[in-house]
Amino acid sequence: MTAPPDLIPEFDTIPDVDDIGQIATWLVDAGLDSLELSNEGLRLRISVSCTAASEPAPSHAPSFVETANEAVDVRAPYFGVLSLAKPLEETACAPLGASVHKDGVVAFLVSGALLIPVLAPTSGAVVDVVGQAGELIGYGATIMRLRPDAG
Amino acid sequence: MSDGQRFNRVLIANRGEIALRIQRACRKLGLETVAVYSEPDAESRHVREADIALCIGPAAAARSYLDMDALLLAARATGASAIHPGYGFLSENADFADAVEDAGLTFIGPTGASIRMMGDKITAKRAMRDAGVPCVPGSDGPLPSSMEEIRGLASEVGFPVIVKASGGGGGRGMRVVHAPAELSDAVLLTAKEAQQAFGNPTLYLERFMQKPRHIEIQILCDTHGTALWLGARDCSLQRRHQKVMEEAPAPGIPASAIADIGARCAEACRRIGYRGAGTFEFLYEDGIFAFIEMNTRVQVEHPITEVTTGIDIVAEQLKVAQGEALSFKQDDIRQQGHAIECRLNAEDPFSFMPSPGTVSRWDLPGGPGIRVDTHVVSGYMVQPYYDSLIGKLIAHGTSREDAIARLRVALAELRVEGISTNVRLHQDLLADPGIQAGGVDIHYLERWLANRSAS
Repeated sequence: MTAPPDLIPEFDTIPDVDDIGQIATWLVDAGLDSLELSNEGLRLRISVSCTAASEPAPSHAPSFVETANEAVDVRAPYFGVLSLAKPLEETACAPLGASVHKDGVVAFLVSGALLIPVLAPTSGAVVDVVGQAGELIGYGATIMRLRPDAG
Repeated sequence: MSDGQRFNRVLIANRGEIALRIQRACRKLGLETVAVYSEPDAESRHVREADIALCIGPAAAARSYLDMDALLLAARATGASAIHPGYGFLSENADFADAVEDAGLTFIGPTGASIRMMGDKITAKRAMRDAGVPCVPGSDGPLPSSMEEIRGLASEVGFPVIVKASGGGGGRGMRVVHAPAELSDAVLLTAKEAQQAFGNPTLYLERFMQKPRHIEIQILCDTHGTALWLGARDCSLQRRHQKVMEEAPAPGIPASAIADIGARCAEACRRIGYRGAGTFEFLYEDGIFAFIEMNTRVQVEHPITEVTTGIDIVAEQLKVAQGEALSFKQDDIRQQGHAIECRLNAEDPFSFMPSPGTVSRWDLPGGPGIRVDTHVVSGYMVQPYYDSLIGKLIAHGTSREDAIARLRVALAELRVEGISTNVRLHQDLLADPGIQAGGVDIHYLERWLANRSAS
């Protein structure tokens, strides 16, 4: 094999509508809800599901009913530099006291050119923010803790 | 590795004892270390002692130690400018070596092209033959169609020979021929089988080595045209192709024969522009060396060469990767005494079943000539996800007998509780007259184990 391709291809043009549709399909297939690419003035965000704020709370969360009063860790799904806010925004996705919904984006990890959303494992309130913005954190590190909604 | 590229922070893309070994060499040279690790390895010694430690994934090696993208991203995130792959995992992955260098980092090892060449048995053999390294004597290609010519070829190679199907593999499509009278039938039958099994009747022929020993030559090359050989190791004691106990030098083989084969290996390295550490593996029988393969990385058993030559092979790997010229010449390398290494595995000494768990007691031996390379400490959890190697016990003595005596004492001193280990196997092997005499073949341990089971 000759030289392997770059990890992430150069992002210098906005894809056409058909390509965006294809990417959205891939995101759904991969169980991801959004993709964001940015490069010197270009920015593309594809969102394929409702975010935490707009999604109605699940009617029940069986796996957390029994431990409704115990905090649940939100752990890093990869390693990278922690960002508590969306790129180019200053407001934290899920500040202390905020209510979040299961699978809603609560933070991001930046690893090279990758921007990886951190999802809430359950619906609930943020009771502790452990991770420091700008800190390099490892896979599995606790970023914040949630008190699950009562089922 | 870009020649002469300096670096001051090394990412260690491995785990266990070799990760700690690399970390020690880095520290000796004043280099910072980055330990990348999987979740269950969080409490590993080299992780705790690293300048920077970063968990890169879960237990599955495919998502941690074998994840090329993650390793490159981790290097970028931590500011490491060189990657040492250790052994196993990605150490002989040519694509990884290329990807590291394409990312502007230094791969502490040979070029991707060298790894690729040696990873392909046909191209490796061809390159070695061209460089004068002896390979298994044989037909050097497909058998001719004339039976007379085949007979002549077999006589030239020497009986017994093994007739093999070009398209064969996995032990199928081959037949051992002990005498000229058996040759014709064997060729016809094997060709017929090969046609049926592989759709290709092409055959080739090699000398069949019945009771070979496994002898290997350690080499070290810089990027200034110097290639040196650091002596031989005998790694014939193997179970299921896994080495169990190794020693240096190889007992009973004349130093002049080792010097001759060593010089050929070094010359082959010069011809292919090899850099860093590497090992040429040979089968050896009746005074004949036959090249099997080259390992393009540091070997598990490198310490026995280190203690008998006084050369820190891992530190030399790092210096070569920095572009430094080797600071010694072939004539400076002296073999001193004899060394034997026991691979300590967390496994049952009889069934060989892995024995993961918490090491509740870990009292190591000491004394003159004893070295233990291990990442284990008391309270360490032996993980079930990776190989069972928990350390290496190396004894160095003025003679082979001295090394064996020191090893026996050391094995008796070693106290391990909480898990099973193969210490008892090593003790029993050292009590065996054949092993005490030295020079056993690669099938010896399997026969010894079969006899033990039967008795």
